[in-house]
Amino acid sequence: MDTRPLTRYVRKHRKVIATSTSGLLYGGGWSLGYLTDLHTASIAILILAAVVGGYDIAKTAYHELKSRTVGIKTLVTLVAVGAIAIGAYWEAAAVVFLFSLGSYLEGRTMRKTRTALQELLELTPDTATVRRDGELKDVPARAVDDGEIVVVKPGEKIPVDGDVTDGESAVNQAPVTGESAPVHKTGGDEVYAGTINQEGALEVTTTGAGSDTTLQRIIRRVEKAQEAQSPTESLIDRFAKYYTPGIIALSIGAFAVTRNAMLSLTLLVIGCPGALVIGPPVNIVSAIGNAARSGVLMKGGEHLERAGKIDLVAVDKTGTLTKGETAVADVEGFGVDAPEALELAAIAEKKSEHHLADAIVDAARERPATATDGGATITREDDATGVATSTETGSIPDSDDFYVIAGKGVIAHHEGREIVIGNRSLLADHDVTIPDPVAEYVRDREARGETAVHVVRDGTVVGVVAMRDELREAAPSVVQELQNTGIETVMLTGDNERTAAAVAEQVGIDEYRAELLPEDKQAVIEAFQDDDRVVAMVGDGINDAPSLATADVGIAMGAAGTDTAIETADMALMADDLERIPYAVTLSKATRWNIAENVSLAVLTVAILLAGVLTSYVTLAAGMLVHEASVLAVILNGMRLLRY
Amino acid sequence: MTETTQFRVMDFDCSTCASIVERALTKVDGVDDVEVHYTTGRVEIDHDDGVADPETLAQTIKNQGYTPQFA
Repeated sequence: MDTRPLTRYVRKHRKVIATSTSGLLYGGGWSLGYLTDLHTASIAILILAAVVGGYDIAKTAYHELKSRTVGIKTLVTLVAVGAIAIGAYWEAAAVVFLFSLGSYLEGRTMRKTRTALQELLELTPDTATVRRDGELKDVPARAVDDGEIVVVKPGEKIPVDGDVTDGESAVNQAPVTGESAPVHKTGGDEVYAGTINQEGALEVTTTGAGSDTTLQRIIRRVEKAQEAQSPTESLIDRFAKYYTPGIIALSIGAFAVTRNAMLSLTLLVIGCPGALVIGPPVNIVSAIGNAARSGVLMKGGEHLERAGKIDLVAVDKTGTLTKGETAVADVEGFGVDAPEALELAAIAEKKSEHHLADAIVDAARERPATATDGGATITREDDATGVATSTETGSIPDSDDFYVIAGKGVIAHHEGREIVIGNRSLLADHDVTIPDPVAEYVRDREARGETAVHVVRDGTVVGVVAMRDELREAAPSVVQELQNTGIETVMLTGDNERTAAAVAEQVGIDEYRAELLPEDKQAVIEAFQDDDRVVAMVGDGINDAPSLATADVGIAMGAAGTDTAIETADMALMADDLERIPYAVTLSKATRWNIAENVSLAVLTVAILLAGVLTSYVTLAAGMLVHEASVLAVILNGMRLLRY
Repeated sequence: MTETTQFRVMDFDCSTCASIVERALTKVDGVDDVEVHYTTGRVEIDHDDGVADPETLAQTIKNQGYTPQFA
């Protein structure tokens, strides 16, 4: 008969088999001794129960001793041997069985926490369809080289990171960004390995495959985060180093004084601070795993514990509360007509990279220019005749020179005239007087939450461009949710006072700070911190990097694809989804609570057990039972965070 | 050549077990650096591939009573 399948089965389920056999033997031995007079048989069966259940435990104990550690398994082995030596067979079997059952359950539940990320890993398909030598070939996904074209059929998972070169589709990016709504992808857009192509076929130029994909990087980072020790953990680890030897010394001392071997053995059972040691990390692993599946990357337990203390959230306005898509809402000319004012602004701002500049240039390109320029066809003729015309910037002429005054505006020269585009402060610096009708128009636009910039030609205001950045639909409810959890909200913006006030009111935010230069934002956060506030800053991760670093917890938005943001922020929201912020903050708070619960439960258990043992209320078996129960209780409590 | 090999051990059942595996792996010839994490079950080993191959490392983990999976 072939016994190999049986051997394999036994090996795979070794722990269950050993535990249940030990349990059955223990039950049988105990009943035999209790119900009959067959005491010797009962003792033999109980010893057998201890040996069956304890063999693997003793083996690990041997390894523990060999590496000069006194772990729980050493203690349990010592207790079982000691109990048998003093004739406490029933207790020996009970301790071994209860410990074996407890550690089986611990292994099982921990496996659930460990596999939380496994689901993410399994999302990446193993094979990719690649266009090689004009033919389509199926190859292992990790063997795809950068630059190769991968073809993804509708309904398939995308096997590599890359840029779409052909086709159009909706892609479900939930595995990477946590966003449930599919994202429209067309030529030039980035796609990520592990996301699902839902509608059309896509051709993707590979930029990363195998372990070099965004998803893999996320998983690696999440695991590192789960493994990083939080302050509570390091504190407990340091304590545990002294606790176990301390209990062993106490046990020896107790025996020397009382000559009560049973008491000494019972002390050893509670000598491993099991629940205390795994209580905090199990919460952190669960919380970070849960967050990762929802598209929030947390840097580690330390940051998570700190995030649990947040009482003030500072939010950058542009791109965070708003969509970050500034567009020109209105142009008013003063002394010149509106299109001319817009064109002047566009000439001056053409080379600027500021988001307001982009909006002005875009608007100017869309409108027909003032002069005789006939439009697109003329541009093409210019090209044909060799006249250098940048097709990208349409018919907007270049300025002769151009300076950026950070946070204020720009100054440029064109055809011998000076153009100044900027806010009140810049105009004041240049002694430009603002006529009343202009001031009134600007005030009116700002009261609507728009940003207005003056167009000045040779010292005279000739127009105003009003720009608007739409609020994200979720902004008011997100602010409300944060307020409901008792967190103060503050908006930081470079906008002027009136615009900021209008936006703050629309969003319902508690406070706002306006007219801030980038370095001012950092100072505002420091001022809050000096007031003993624990400050979180939400920003875009690139422009706001300094303030994100200054804040106690820096939260970067829309981090998928920007590795710097993932590296520098304490928390990174993979999607541009503001609604994840209340979730991340409340999850952190729940984690902090859970850690406190677990630590108190563990300390309380040990204290009660210790008191119980010393007063002889707690017996060997009962001590083991309570110890194992407390370990399972903290694990199960931590696992609630997986489903938060 | 120094290589980094990663395993996943899903059946750690006590936190000291992880540190024992870590010490056992450290003692293997050709191993430079070992990280074993109880909570995630991740084992990362920097080793000289010519002296200690991944199979030897896997066997070391098995000898301690745990099941390594290549990851």
